[in-house]
Amino acid sequence: MKMLAFALPVAIAISAPAYAQALSPTEYVAMAGSGDMYEIQSSQTVLQTTQDPKIRTFAQMMIKHHTKSTADVKAAAAKSRIKPKPPMLMPAHAELLTQLQAETGPARDQTYIAQQKQAHAQALELHKSYAQGGTAPALKMAAAKIVPVVQQHIDMLKTM
Amino acid sequence: MKSRLLLGMALLLGTSAAASAQSAMSPNAPPPPPAPVAVTPPPQAAADMQAVLDAHKALGAKPIETLSPAKARLQPSATDAARRVMRERGMSTAPDPAVTTKDVAYGADPQQFARIYTPAAVVGSGAQLPVVVYYHGGGWVIADVNVYDPTPRLLAKQLNAIVVSVEYRHAPEFKFPSQHEDAAAAYRWVLANAASWGGNPAKIALAGESAGGNLAVATAIYARDNGLTAPLHVLSVYPIANSAMQLPSKVDSANAKPLNTPMLKWFGHYYARTAADQMDPRVNLVGANLAGLPATTIINAQIDPLRSDGETLAQAMKKARVDVDQKTFPGVTHEFFGMGKVVRGAYDAELYAVAQLKKAFAR
Repeated sequence: MKMLAFALPVAIAISAPAYAQALSPTEYVAMAGSGDMYEIQSSQTVLQTTQDPKIRTFAQMMIKHHTKSTADVKAAAAKSRIKPKPPMLMPAHAELLTQLQAETGPARDQTYIAQQKQAHAQALELHKSYAQGGTAPALKMAAAKIVPVVQQHIDMLKTM
Repeated sequence: MKSRLLLGMALLLGTSAAASAQSAMSPNAPPPPPAPVAVTPPPQAAADMQAVLDAHKALGAKPIETLSPAKARLQPSATDAARRVMRERGMSTAPDPAVTTKDVAYGADPQQFARIYTPAAVVGSGAQLPVVVYYHGGGWVIADVNVYDPTPRLLAKQLNAIVVSVEYRHAPEFKFPSQHEDAAAAYRWVLANAASWGGNPAKIALAGESAGGNLAVATAIYARDNGLTAPLHVLSVYPIANSAMQLPSKVDSANAKPLNTPMLKWFGHYYARTAADQMDPRVNLVGANLAGLPATTIINAQIDPLRSDGETLAQAMKKARVDVDQKTFPGVTHEFFGMGKVVRGAYDAELYAVAQLKKAFAR
């Protein structure tokens, strides 16, 4: 019996990482938060200079939608009893923002669109994979609701 | 006692086997168990290449071979690292305005679309431009047309050609040969539609990097076998082309960055349905019938586990009497191509590639 009690925890400890392949709830909340923050700040940046009405409309929509997804993820985290740290830009998102701020005029518009395509492809991956394999049910549901919104943004970006 | 222990173990094994079977096609599918780590350090990269590798680290890139596909796809790319170096040096990271792009679907899946790069000066001019069909890299699992923007943009501008950068369905959600099927379907689609974009479908070339370098050659084989218009030239940059794991570069560059030998195994773990897929001639190009293929240029990096793939593919092509030109660039790593603004070796390789394609289109 003693041996069994000893053997099981060891076996579980070894196999546990193989199960936990989706992002952890904390990782998901941190990455979603950084993504939203980048979306909002980059859209604010392009709105300061753009003369293109299509980009203006898109950027305003991004601020609205990503402010909502930040709030939805925060509420779902509370339901899942996770106390996330306030959203913070991860190094890759901070770098994109710095690059965008360094551009002016039409070059900033084009940089914004190129960055948006890349950032949304990653956002889709983030929310889709968490909706599929996440471990906190409320966050999983929030992720599943964000997926079609991100997909809609990607479809819009394909015309830009 | 013994039987209860065995039962416990059996239950445990049973659960984990079920979990992995269920998730084989999920982006959350666990990575393969870690392989023994080779101790050989890779050769030292040139200072300008090393600056990009350092920037990649600064952006927080984690070792791909330890991650699930979903997590791997969220990592910063080598392109992100090169842009960081550009920004640090006061260079613009904006897309070159000499080229415009539009995204057009070629299939029903959201990933079956292509980004068409057109030299801005000729939009609406009625000129019939040469066409390059380009496939991006990422081991058929990670990365996309966004990550691989520099090369098609550069080729469109330097060749004054329309470059069609093909997105395709990724593994493990869609395993081999979905990527090869999409590559072939996109080639057919370009032949049928290039004229409507101002392209000349008789003046066509194939190009690609890494897994996409494989797709370029595999699609040339497909065109030959299906009686399609043959490309005038194939540009294959560090292709996946030889599944043997004991090739010199897979040993001497086992610990290289941003591609190492464990990542090659990681890609295979996700794209292959069974081990046999990695010996399929579409993957293991050195084992394919290469006779009658168009003139081919193969570009390799010295510090890259795929270097020997390209070198052995060139040997196999020569043996099959294909007009092949292969160069290995020193001091650079996988993903260096397209970094010509900050890496000298990449600038040289880009000049070489452009000259080869210009020559092919001038004929």
